[in-house]
Amino acid sequence: MKHKRFALKPVIAFVSMCILAIVMLYPFYYMINTSLKSKEQYFGAPGHSFSSWKNLLKVLPVGRQLLNSTLVCAGAIFIILIVSSMAGFALAKLRSKASPIIFVGIVGAMLIPLQSIIIPAYINASKLNLLSGYWGAIFVYAALGTPFATFLMTSYFRGIPDELIEAAVMDGLTYGKTFIKIALPLAVPAIITVIVLQFIQIWDDLLVGLLFIQDENYRTITVGLGALSAGRVTDIPVLMAGSLISAIPAVAVYLIFQRQLVNGLTAGIGK
Amino acid sequence: MKTTSALARQRSRSGVIFAIPALILVAAFLGIPIIQAGYFSFTEWNGVTAIWHGISTYNHEIHDPIFWRVLLNNGYLLLGIPIAILFPMGIAFLLNEKVYGWKIFRSIYFLPTAISWVVIGMVSMRFFAQEGLLNGLLKSFGLGFIKTDLLSSEQGALFAVGITFIWSMVGTNTIIFLTGMATLDQSLNEAARMDGAGNFRIFRSITLPQLNRFIQFSFIITVISAFTALFSLIFVMTGGGPGFGTTTLEFFIYQSAFSRGNFGTGAMLGVILFFMMAVLGIGQLLLMRNKDD
Repeated sequence: MKHKRFALKPVIAFVSMCILAIVMLYPFYYMINTSLKSKEQYFGAPGHSFSSWKNLLKVLPVGRQLLNSTLVCAGAIFIILIVSSMAGFALAKLRSKASPIIFVGIVGAMLIPLQSIIIPAYINASKLNLLSGYWGAIFVYAALGTPFATFLMTSYFRGIPDELIEAAVMDGLTYGKTFIKIALPLAVPAIITVIVLQFIQIWDDLLVGLLFIQDENYRTITVGLGALSAGRVTDIPVLMAGSLISAIPAVAVYLIFQRQLVNGLTAGIGK
Repeated sequence: MKTTSALARQRSRSGVIFAIPALILVAAFLGIPIIQAGYFSFTEWNGVTAIWHGISTYNHEIHDPIFWRVLLNNGYLLLGIPIAILFPMGIAFLLNEKVYGWKIFRSIYFLPTAISWVVIGMVSMRFFAQEGLLNGLLKSFGLGFIKTDLLSSEQGALFAVGITFIWSMVGTNTIIFLTGMATLDQSLNEAARMDGAGNFRIFRSITLPQLNRFIQFSFIITVISAFTALFSLIFVMTGGGPGFGTTTLEFFIYQSAFSRGNFGTGAMLGVILFFMMAVLGIGQLLLMRNKDD
């Protein structure tokens, strides 16, 4: 009798995990299934078709918007990597009395919610003519990503021995050269973590893109989709096709770089 | 001696120079705007001209019932937080027992973290709709008489947003607790078992204290998300409605400024949100520092 109870426990655990897996995967099933129906099929007619995918291309410039999303992500991540790796290196390896203040100044900005600054930032950007192309959004995303990226880079560089940097300087390298030739190559794992975290965050964002990209031709896919749904496009299968295509790149990045994403998330817990 | 101090000086100078680009970026797009928000929160501002009103803007706002209605919505969402933390903790415990296929389950549960709120909102809206899966499930369990259109009532819509929020936090919080459980010291459990402690006793006196840091972290992440991450979800799912049913503080900021053109009010609400989050963040910091001593 006791034996039987012991064999039952893992089975119950397994079954409940399976049920939860269905709950978590349901949106993907729903998107795939619904996008493969025409409007009539969605309302009960039998069978599947690609007609909603064809209609999607008519209401949403998918290719252009995927390109826009890629460019905005690339631009913002590029800026984040440059400024946060430099600052992280400085805060970990080139310490002075000013370092703690600088650290709080950059990393402490994590406490500022996007919604708290978005109105003045929007007005500033419009005065600086940053709303017509990609640049307004790129700069705002870069600024929002920099505090946490700097935190990650600083703690990563702290793990690199001081002797390595000192030896390079003793050999006559400038701090700039030491940074580029010695420190940066060692920081590749942290750089990948920053890229993955920021890519998913920026790709999936609606609010900044909605406000800081005024020209429809420059809209990212997530903003395009959000605008489509707010415009009350009632063709659900078309919306689901759009949702699916916008989700695929971020999901792909997740599947490939899952470990780095988890590292980035849990880095905030500290020691 | 002279050379080392010259070297040290050069090093600290480089240290400041290297940090300048990050400082400028953060100052220009976060630092200056939060100060501007502080200034404009005392004004009536349409984006072009601002009229100074002083503290009376705040005074006026806290006497506005809509403001409290909005904060109440935030409060209701906070009620979901215990579930959003305890449920994933239970999942993490099961996964940590190395259930068959636990690595795959872990990946599946974390997957929604990669999809945007826009997509989640769109699917969730269909799920809760009159002809959606929820009503279908209720019907198949013989509960068809409950059939509801949750999104059409104020409380119902907020409930639907809350459920979606909890669903989307499952992955993140499960991962946090799995990380925590990997750090548990198993020898303590064995020692306690030797001393005759039961499962519950071990959990309460040995496991929970070791997980404290992770519970705190997941709490902070979940509260911050509830206050600042739901804009897109609400934008897509309900547009803040019906009425003010699902308008949370962060959504109210957007509405005030960009739907009604009251940029001053929007800035003020932003300042209030900032202080709420800052108190939370600083409180967390103090709590952790006390532990370290």
